[in-house]
Amino acid sequence: MIPFILKRLGSGIVVLLAVSILTFSLLYVSSGSIARNILGDQATPEQLAVKEAELGLDQPIVTRYFSWLMDALGGNLGASWFTSEPVANALATRIPVTMTMVVVAMILISIIATLIGVAAAVKRGWVDRVVQIGAIIGDSIPGFVIGIILVTILAIQMGLFPATSTIAPGVGAEAWVLSLTLPVIALLINGVTGGAQQIRSAVIKQLERDYVRTLRSRGIGEREVLFKHVLRSAAPAGLTVLSLQLIGMLGGVVILESIFALPGMGPMAVTATIQSDQPVVMGVVMYTVAVVIVVNLIVDLLNGWLNPKVRVS
Amino acid sequence: MKLGPKAAAAAITVSAALALTACGGGATGANNPAAAKTTTLTLGTVQEIRSWDPAQAHVGHILQPYQAAYDSLLLREPDGKLSPMLATTWKYNDANTKLTVDLRTDVTFSDGAKFDAEAAKANLDHFKTANGPQMAQLTAVTDVAVVDADTIELNLSTPDPSLEFYLSQAAGLMGSPKALGTEAIKTEPVGSGPYVMDKAATVKDSQSVFTARKDYWNNGLQKFQKVTFKTLTDLTARTNALVSGQVDGTLLDPKTGKQAEGAKMALVTNQVDWQGLLLMDRDGATNPALGNLKVRQAINYAFDRKTILDQVLLGQGTPTSQPFGKASGAWTEELENYYSYDPAKAKQLLKEAGYETGVTLDVPSVPGFETQLAVVKQQLADVGITLNVGSAITNTYTSDVAAKKFSSIYFTLFQGEPWVAINQIVSTKALYNPFKNASPELQAKIDAVQNGAKDAPKLAQEVNKYVVEQAWFAPLFRVNQMYYHNSKITVTPQIQQAVPSIYNYSPA
Repeated sequence: MIPFILKRLGSGIVVLLAVSILTFSLLYVSSGSIARNILGDQATPEQLAVKEAELGLDQPIVTRYFSWLMDALGGNLGASWFTSEPVANALATRIPVTMTMVVVAMILISIIATLIGVAAAVKRGWVDRVVQIGAIIGDSIPGFVIGIILVTILAIQMGLFPATSTIAPGVGAEAWVLSLTLPVIALLINGVTGGAQQIRSAVIKQLERDYVRTLRSRGIGEREVLFKHVLRSAAPAGLTVLSLQLIGMLGGVVILESIFALPGMGPMAVTATIQSDQPVVMGVVMYTVAVVIVVNLIVDLLNGWLNPKVRVS
Repeated sequence: MKLGPKAAAAAITVSAALALTACGGGATGANNPAAAKTTTLTLGTVQEIRSWDPAQAHVGHILQPYQAAYDSLLLREPDGKLSPMLATTWKYNDANTKLTVDLRTDVTFSDGAKFDAEAAKANLDHFKTANGPQMAQLTAVTDVAVVDADTIELNLSTPDPSLEFYLSQAAGLMGSPKALGTEAIKTEPVGSGPYVMDKAATVKDSQSVFTARKDYWNNGLQKFQKVTFKTLTDLTARTNALVSGQVDGTLLDPKTGKQAEGAKMALVTNQVDWQGLLLMDRDGATNPALGNLKVRQAINYAFDRKTILDQVLLGQGTPTSQPFGKASGAWTEELENYYSYDPAKAKQLLKEAGYETGVTLDVPSVPGFETQLAVVKQQLADVGITLNVGSAITNTYTSDVAAKKFSSIYFTLFQGEPWVAINQIVSTKALYNPFKNASPELQAKIDAVQNGAKDAPKLAQEVNKYVVEQAWFAPLFRVNQMYYHNSKITVTPQIQQAVPSIYNYSPA
């Protein structure tokens, strides 16, 4: 077990390094305009040169990359070129908002999608058809469209929720709940419909296996067959789908956070990318890649725990 | 436990009802019609403030929040007139190379420091070296001298007819000399302005909250007890926040404006930008056809500006043939429709220029302007000009322009004071004159503006006339900026600003 975790962590570090090199190179291509973007249209060539030297843009890319890497390894992600805000600070204030949204949505998706998926697989008939049709409809509407529909009806017309976030220091739990409800629902609809569909197929596949027939023939109750055996065997497929959804969600929240004016990672990532704010973009990318690596690792471990067959020797 | 269908339905109904009651509590209040005048102002801003250091202040949309915290040396009235603020009087020498400024003596900063000549000098010196986005505003100022406790002199290397205007903008914002250059001022402004930041309620990228400063010297400008700038970069978010009552005013566009009008919001409209083609390679260095005046004029005659405006901006703007703004003083009536829609004349001019077989024009694609480019392409094709729309502009755009990568571009540009506009699009130092097109005749007209002091705007009409006649550009229209607000406040539009100055808001 421990060697497996270490091996996965090792490959995670390689992935992090590779992504950092790739991102840094991509940003390098557009770094020629940084000084002008900061100083404005009328800055003179001398003023531009001073700014470029100040940001280290006059150094070769390899030097710049290694100086960034050394700082990053020492825990210093640098500061935004545009706002001077330390990147670690920026991430620390935005991550709670984004992660609250994603984690709450994920927990709800896991529960609801499993319930619906299992119900469709076990009951079949009209329940199954409703789930199938719902999945197609839910999957075909992008989350941000759902978000806009929800705001228009529930916030603007009915006034039940704030149209844009009211999260601020000292506002209390109520503002958090009210501000996050609509974006979480928007994330939920896509996630549940997609997830339920996959869990349904996985459960059906298990229900058709010989071991289920054997268990049933030995007089084991239907509930025990379903919860103790079938769900356990179907779990890897479900977990994989859910983990992919979580990773996809990190991208999906960007637009939702803009629409709902939530002070999360999304708007910061977008602004930093448009401005080529290298330290911030690097920070956001590294954080996101780290989340993906950790999520994948957790899913693998959970899979091994649930189903000894997939355990790595 | 097994739930029957009835029990399940009941459970859902109960939880839905609970959820609705729980939600009901929070959303009201804001919509309560106030019997008394409102004492709070909440505005949706399109961009987050990068740094509260006054030297990092910017123009246009981004100036407004700084005005809450900082007074400027001069005050720009809504119609553009410059009035005293921290400066009581200001006067140039005869050569326009020395500006003597008298200052108020009764002003303190929010940290207790006193505003005086030394403080003003410290700010101007700081602005020159702090590498802010508007540092070019003080390029002409070589040094600032303290004459006495309430007088400073700005010495200029060359006359700069925009300097007084700049002293009402970013360059004129005065921060506490004790705080300038510190880390703290980046996140918490320290000025002498009408409001002070409530640091505890302020969240980066979300909202900046200000409260009225006690004993503010200029009571007439302090009209609210609390001012909140809510950062709403997304247009949909701004629209939703306005119509649901979360903000009192914000900047929208023609399409979202319809939604705001449906919700009975009032419109304050203003023209700040022009949009059209910049035919930059006027010597024909990379595209020989553009070196021909008749070709450039033919391009101008090819456009049915009114139709383009109706199609792409729902008519929200004014067709024009001149790049200088109506409020700048350089604008003239005769140039407004100098190039009327005349495809036959355009074809004739191309023929005379020897380009009967056609001309090809390359422009980069501009994100957000796809419709404009499609219509422009169609109308140019009708007279025999092929518009090739290349790859999209990116964050290297300005350096690509400077590096002469584009022979022409379709763009939207700010219409500022004449000298600002000349340095943006006409002079050989201008970013948007990358091929450094010039002529002795034009240079003489530019020099006249530079040395023209108070007559500069009028003299700039000659520059305007020259670039229109020489078809340096193919302007299409000035764009209406659509600023909407609710009935709790009144808003006066500010010349050359899409987002009005903070002084222009009052409780209704």
